[in-house]
Amino acid sequence: MGIKSIEVTDRLYWLGRYSERVYTSLRLFAKSYDDMLDKGDTYGELCRSLEIPNIYPTAQNFLRRYPFDESDPNSIASNLRRAYDNAVELRQEIGTEELSYIQLAVYEMNRARLSDAPMLEFQKIADNILAFWGIIDDQVEDENTRNIIKVGKRVERIDLFGRLHASQVDLHREVRRLQGRIDRCTIRYDRACLAELGRLVEAEPLDYSGIVQTVERLTAV
Amino acid sequence: MYEMDLIERANSVNELLARYGVKFGIYKNGTFKEQLFPFDAIPRVIPADEFDLLDRGLRQRVKALNLFLEDIYNEKKIVRDRVVPEEFIYASSGYLPQCEGIRPPGGVFSHISGIDLVLGKDGSWYILEDNLRVPSGASYPLIVRDLCRRSSPRTFQEFHIEDNRNYAQLLRHTMDYANVGGLTVVLTPGRYNAAYFEHSYLAEQTHSPLVNGQDLVVEEDGVYLLDYTGKKERVGAVYRRISDDFLDPLSFRPESLIGVPGLFQAYRKGQVAILNAPGNGVADDKGIYYFVPKMIQYYLGETPILSNAPTYLPFYKEDMKYVLEHLDTLVLKDVAEAGGYGVVFGSKMSARQKEDFVALLKAEPRRFIAQEVIDFQDLDIMDNGVRVPRKADLRAFVLSAEEPVVWKSGLTRFSRNPDSFIVNSSQGGGFKDTWVLSR
Repeated sequence: MGIKSIEVTDRLYWLGRYSERVYTSLRLFAKSYDDMLDKGDTYGELCRSLEIPNIYPTAQNFLRRYPFDESDPNSIASNLRRAYDNAVELRQEIGTEELSYIQLAVYEMNRARLSDAPMLEFQKIADNILAFWGIIDDQVEDENTRNIIKVGKRVERIDLFGRLHASQVDLHREVRRLQGRIDRCTIRYDRACLAELGRLVEAEPLDYSGIVQTVERLTAV
Repeated sequence: MYEMDLIERANSVNELLARYGVKFGIYKNGTFKEQLFPFDAIPRVIPADEFDLLDRGLRQRVKALNLFLEDIYNEKKIVRDRVVPEEFIYASSGYLPQCEGIRPPGGVFSHISGIDLVLGKDGSWYILEDNLRVPSGASYPLIVRDLCRRSSPRTFQEFHIEDNRNYAQLLRHTMDYANVGGLTVVLTPGRYNAAYFEHSYLAEQTHSPLVNGQDLVVEEDGVYLLDYTGKKERVGAVYRRISDDFLDPLSFRPESLIGVPGLFQAYRKGQVAILNAPGNGVADDKGIYYFVPKMIQYYLGETPILSNAPTYLPFYKEDMKYVLEHLDTLVLKDVAEAGGYGVVFGSKMSARQKEDFVALLKAEPRRFIAQEVIDFQDLDIMDNGVRVPRKADLRAFVLSAEEPVVWKSGLTRFSRNPDSFIVNSSQGGGFKDTWVLSR
């Protein structure tokens, strides 16, 4: 494993987290949007499950601000901006071609903001995130670099699955993937937390808030 | 000289440049913004024999400038021999007394030199400026060549254009030559620097870690890159993209948060190479520019191959007299400014502005130089589908290891404003690829 500065390691990890957050938020938003077509103003449920403040007075306001408003720190656009802010400082680490997919996702977000049918445009953002993950896997030679991004991605996914009360099967699978990955990179983590996470996803019923708190503590060392 | 598809597909090339984040940063009203650097597909073409002259002239100039730097920070023969007045050395903001007595590893001061030239209507090239501190711009023609080759493969099949995609190898060789043992790193002030794209792109292309000041530590005069796990690795060369002032708070500006404490001391002791060497500003000062042809004669015993733009130093009485009498036809430059700032054309000043300027000039004659406005050749650009002429310059890059080598390309910048001579990207200019023909 080549030497990696503290800053680069942090940015790789957070690039993994924010790219996952954008991808999953897009999927959740699409579902919430679709539900609202039949059931009315159900966006409050999404806010509650994601533990983000419901600052949206109307469904219309939610539909504009949650995906696009960069002044709202919880919006999808803000999270994409954070992914970009990390990625742009990693060009030398991940490569220009690889970085370009995050840049393209940002451009697609800007297009979606101006579109009459943003849900159609969101697919392109998701496609670029998927392409980014794919090219990282395929082209980045440094295993440590790849694994730090993947660890960030897994941690974020477990966090979101915990908040969204995902199935035990899904949580179990993600924790197993994290356990298999985390020792293959130089990221520092709390071994006791990882062991605790393993126990929590075996327990019935699942302690979702315990899972979220534990995964948040995992790399805060 | 090229296939029309190269021009017709310019938008696609610009889209790819946007995709790859080929941008520069700019502060507007206190807010940082990233802007795309507009690319025009009509290339600047330099015939082989013309480049041969440039090649010889630029190598000669950079050799002399390196000898000047070594002399100024050591024996000062050129001052003792009254070729350059000492006022122009010690009053220059680029002169650093801390560099006295230093001979950098490999003996090179200016490893990467960016020399700005224009082509006059008389067919002669004129040197406008030497940039020996942290010249930027090589990354743009480097990345765009790849895209142009994709855009118009036939052009590059049919014409004999030197491949410029070896810049990273030249740079890496220059870094390795200076390296005293250990890693080579690219030191950036960070994302909010105007040239950040270039820092990260060159780091990627030369396979060098891109670091900020906090990633490096100095222990017992050795420079080390710190790992996340606490591991340290020795650094043998720092390609710094930070100005001298901010390089090391222990030796220069103490409030610098982007530098590396102790770096300069390590350099002074020969424990690390810094590219370009600190203190080079004394040689690319606009006032010193006047003396470069004299340096060439003094150090090399040769006649300068490339000419300066005709320049006057109001510091000398006869030049002051000339400047005052011909203010309307001259361009006045503040020696402390860069990036196209601090440049005024006598013809564009109001009577009141002239009066104020003359007062300032008389009070601070060392601060300004005056130059004849060179009637330089326009280059065509495409402006909304119409071919129009615009002012353009060329930044040539000379990389110095064992010997100086001129990169067979360069950054051609143009003004998008038909009435402007200012080509800087920070002031709205665009860029072109620069082709050197191989025969």
